[in-house]
Amino acid sequence: MVGYLVFLTIYVGLYSLFALGLNLQWGYAGLINFGHVAFMTVGAYTTVLLSSQGVPLILAIIAGIAIAALLGLLIGMSTLRLREDYLAIVTIGVSELLRLIALNEEWLTKGSFGIQRFPLPLDRFEPNLVQEYLLIGVLTLLAIFAAWQLGQGLRSQYREGKSIQGKSYQPTKILSLIIWGILGLGIILTVYINGCAALLDYNYKAGLMLLVLIALAVVYWGLELLVKSPWGRVLKAIREDEEIARALGKNVFWYKLQAFMLGGAIAGLAGAFYAWQLTTIYPSNFQTLITFNVWTMVVLGGAGNNPGAILGAIVFWAYDALTRFYLPKLGWFSSSEEGAFRVMVIGLILMVLMVWRPQGILGKKEELTLGK
Amino acid sequence: MFDLQLLFNGIAIGSILALAAIGLTLTYGILNLSNFAHGDFMTLGAYLTWLANTSGLNIWLSMILGAIGTIIAMLISEYLLWKPMRDRRASDTTLIIISIGLALFIRNGILLLYGGSNKLYQLPVVRALEFGDLRIAYYRLIVIGLAIAAITALHLILQNTKIGKAMRAVADNIDLARVSGINVDQIVLWTWIITGTLTAFAGGMYGLIVVVHPNMGWFLILPMFASVILGGIGNPYGAIAGAFVIGIVQELSVPLLGSEYKLGVALAIMVAILLVRPQGLFNK
Repeated sequence: MVGYLVFLTIYVGLYSLFALGLNLQWGYAGLINFGHVAFMTVGAYTTVLLSSQGVPLILAIIAGIAIAALLGLLIGMSTLRLREDYLAIVTIGVSELLRLIALNEEWLTKGSFGIQRFPLPLDRFEPNLVQEYLLIGVLTLLAIFAAWQLGQGLRSQYREGKSIQGKSYQPTKILSLIIWGILGLGIILTVYINGCAALLDYNYKAGLMLLVLIALAVVYWGLELLVKSPWGRVLKAIREDEEIARALGKNVFWYKLQAFMLGGAIAGLAGAFYAWQLTTIYPSNFQTLITFNVWTMVVLGGAGNNPGAILGAIVFWAYDALTRFYLPKLGWFSSSEEGAFRVMVIGLILMVLMVWRPQGILGKKEELTLGK
Repeated sequence: MFDLQLLFNGIAIGSILALAAIGLTLTYGILNLSNFAHGDFMTLGAYLTWLANTSGLNIWLSMILGAIGTIIAMLISEYLLWKPMRDRRASDTTLIIISIGLALFIRNGILLLYGGSNKLYQLPVVRALEFGDLRIAYYRLIVIGLAIAAITALHLILQNTKIGKAMRAVADNIDLARVSGINVDQIVLWTWIITGTLTAFAGGMYGLIVVVHPNMGWFLILPMFASVILGGIGNPYGAIAGAFVIGIVQELSVPLLGSEYKLGVALAIMVAILLVRPQGLFNK
């Protein structure tokens, strides 16, 4: 059970990173990136290939992030000046092309045989008791940070609710704030207690879990600062109406390119963690479906909302874990049909959300223009 | 070095792409919908054709039944998704994301019902025609002939009937068309009927010369969009020309790049056009 929850925590953490990258591109800057997995592919393969050549892991991952950002630059330079739907088409093509390259250029990527036995972070680390308590200390700090962020979010909702009471639209109810608070604390406590148990009985995955959570906290914190800065407000203005941002003298193309590259870089980081979690990578790990899974997370959680992206990842993995557990018990489908059914439901969720609740769970409808 | 065999294959693939791309460009131009589910409707057409064919009908009747089924599916998507969203004046990006959801739904629905294996039609075996070194597969020739017939029919409809004229007017400017008394809803209906027919034929024909597979349409969506962009969005004649260019160049690139990177060729042509002439070769 502890091991399974660690596995889920790592996946939720790395997909949260991945979703935060897409949320910056789509949620804040309005860029339709249908090839998000391309950045993950580049990040994963660069990190793995460099580190197996003996490059230190930290340098390898920095190179992976940099090359993912470079890919963003290349795609962005050619398409960001044009109609928004062109970006969608080109990114889908690039992500498929990258997967084909990973599959066919065997001299580089070993093709469908996959890359095995590459260096992993904290692999041979065998902590003594003091070091274990140190790691738990770090995890405690992360849990406090998460709880603090949750409290901040709820408090700002509460204040907003008070200040607009009696106005035209309904503020969030106090009761729903309390429920959100309990749910959030519950998740944080579960991850924390389970994390402590895993760290005391240390293995490679426990260390990786801690690293993912640290990376997630740092990226989340940085993004929150960025999107609340003038830079983030310009991005939102571009998303709502490019012409207005342009009339204010902002270089729209340059802002879009920055958001696209930064989002890509974050996805590259998520890619490195993805490779470390899988421990063997095959080109089939990087299918276009991953892009649409992360789209579902962002749309579900709420576009233009960083906590929403993380919430989306949690809900998505809860859905995944529950259907993997309960669908076989129903006995409706064979195992290959089950996979198809699961994706079919994801397609349905995406459609239903965009029709009935395009702002997702946490997004602000007043802020997002979804029509003309 | 110029290979006639590859050129011929390219023309055969190009004619399939052309039929599919016409539908995509019509809905793109007239309804302002970049439909990422278009390829999966093509797959649906192929599967319906396969179902009718394996239950004993001959292939031509099966293709007509496949087309009818595809039209019905497209009309369902129109009345459940596209029309309500258009009435709400949803933005293009919202429609694009819905189309991705629809694409996943259709493709995995097919996968759920019929599994992931390749399907073949029950066809009489016909020997390939040989002209010296050139071997021409009988069904490829049929595909090219069918595509030419379908394109001619489309041309006659667009140029000579009232519906065709109204379609071009709606594609040009929907509000202007409405105030000049064109029944836009009826035109939208006809657009879907033409799109569904051509797309299902494209799927059926792809099954005739390659194979029927749940991912067939999805793998062709990029070449389709490349054809549409090459010819200029909303321009059916441009899409036909674009499709033949993409189909032929993809096949001719095989000796140079290997058959794995056909998709890369379509992508490269598309990016080059976007950089040099984003409005397409034939639009002003």
